[in-house]
Amino acid sequence: MASVISNPVGNMNSDRIKRKKKRKSLIKESQQNQSQNWKSEAQQQIYSSKLIQALSQVSLNSPSPSAPRGGRAVREAADRVLAVAAKGRTRWSRAILTSRIKLKFRKRKRARASPAVTAALVTGSNRAKKSRVSILRLKSKSLPAVQRKVKVLGGLVPGCRKQPLPVILEEATDYIAALEMQVRAMSALAELLSGGSAGSSSSAPPPSS
Amino acid sequence: MEAIAGTGARSIHKAPEEELTALESLQFTDEIHLLMAAPPDSSSSFTALLELSAPQAVELLHLPESANLISNDSYKPTQMDDFKGSLHFPTDIALIERAARLSVFAGESNNKHSNSEKNSAETASDNSSADPEKAVKSEPAETEYSQPSGSDPTVHKKSVKRKEREKKAKGSAKKSKTAANESSDDAEQLPYVHVRARRGQATDSHSLAERARREKINARMKLLQELVPGCSKISGTALVLEEIINHVQSLQRQVEFLSMRLAAVNPRIDFNFDSIFTPEYMQATSLVDSNFPSMVMPVMWPEAQVGGNRQQCQQQWHLDILHQPGWEREEVCHNYITPENSLLSYDSSTNSATLHSSQSKMEL
Repeated sequence: MASVISNPVGNMNSDRIKRKKKRKSLIKESQQNQSQNWKSEAQQQIYSSKLIQALSQVSLNSPSPSAPRGGRAVREAADRVLAVAAKGRTRWSRAILTSRIKLKFRKRKRARASPAVTAALVTGSNRAKKSRVSILRLKSKSLPAVQRKVKVLGGLVPGCRKQPLPVILEEATDYIAALEMQVRAMSALAELLSGGSAGSSSSAPPPSS
Repeated sequence: MEAIAGTGARSIHKAPEEELTALESLQFTDEIHLLMAAPPDSSSSFTALLELSAPQAVELLHLPESANLISNDSYKPTQMDDFKGSLHFPTDIALIERAARLSVFAGESNNKHSNSEKNSAETASDNSSADPEKAVKSEPAETEYSQPSGSDPTVHKKSVKRKEREKKAKGSAKKSKTAANESSDDAEQLPYVHVRARRGQATDSHSLAERARREKINARMKLLQELVPGCSKISGTALVLEEIINHVQSLQRQVEFLSMRLAAVNPRIDFNFDSIFTPEYMQATSLVDSNFPSMVMPVMWPEAQVGGNRQQCQQQWHLDILHQPGWEREEVCHNYITPENSLLSYDSSTNSATLHSSQSKMEL
């Protein structure tokens, strides 16, 4: 009798456990679906195609005065394409995409500020610097090693300078995966382009100056 | 709500109390007092606990785990036998639960403090509101004695219980000893002390939050360690962070070099679309998928245009891409074509014409 009574209870428990496991696995799957898989081939192909489009748009021969030149333009274009591939879900991708707008905004702000004002600011900051330096030297070793490194890491990942530690760690995880994919895609592209152009150099028309 | 539950618990337990008090409490108090007087102050944490209070010892003895604890000490089996001989401990869960709650009140036959009774009743009610099985099992295993915290005791304790139920690690003997010393004084006043956190851990709400925060950080550090090669061997947060920083810097440098390399190759892109793309896509076997609409473009493109202006080429290229029926298959690209174009062609004035044309095509 006792066994008969206990069995349904046991079954219920096992059902509950199974349901919980199913729920957990579903949640995990949905989480994986939400975050990009930077290791997948499809993601790399998407990035490569977008990168090619972007690189073709980068005007190297006659850049506008504000645009960077040469390798830097390529680098920035590649980073922007990477941020687009991230679909703006992460802080670093959003920071990359908005960095250009912010740069333009700051340039306008500086242009508006009169030279006299800037001169006054400079002298004032110089005077304050002396007193500040002594205080800073005393405090420079106060931060523990871990916190110093966390700040460095926050500086490396775009858009994470003033974020708390768990946010920085999360962003760094995604950023490292994205960077690895970027390196793979760009190296493959560079190989193909350099190999392709070398192969077809004979048939290529002479580049106009 | 808790007051009502407390009173309910108290009213419930008065009935069994009358039943069992006569039997168990007498046998309890006599024999346990004897035992408490006898044992020397040993270094073992379990015996220190045994010195403490009868009710806790009762709870400990209910579990097989506690039996393992007992077996470690030579002193203990005799105790077990004595207890088992004199008292017939019920194996039924409900009775165990009642006995546990009873033990709250059993030592308090003096009725010294109504406050302590209230606290214990509240905690007993908390146990009842939570899963009764788990309550009984968790209490003996988590034999940490700590003073109840004032702020939000029940909520935090419930959450801690859920966490600590999984972690039955034992803290340092030192901490349990000092806590035991504290509670030995309390035992006379408070027979039932809150047992929520892990052994050797404080139950302060601040420390709970701190622990949750630390666990979150540690979980993320683990993920990072798996991602960065060679980090799983290193122990210590600072060194791991250093490795991660080095890795990120090396990756960024690689991107820098590759971009310089691409910039050197780039001037050729404008003029050699056909020669570059067709061998590229033919060689890349993974790109044979028909998912990429741009694949069709290079095949069509040499037919469309032989040479010509760079601007014209780009315009044609954009339009061809947008005309591709397969474009809609790529959800990703579809959603982002407009912002992408606007962002990527932000500085180039020559591309504004292409941007407008592409946008108009998108609307179609």
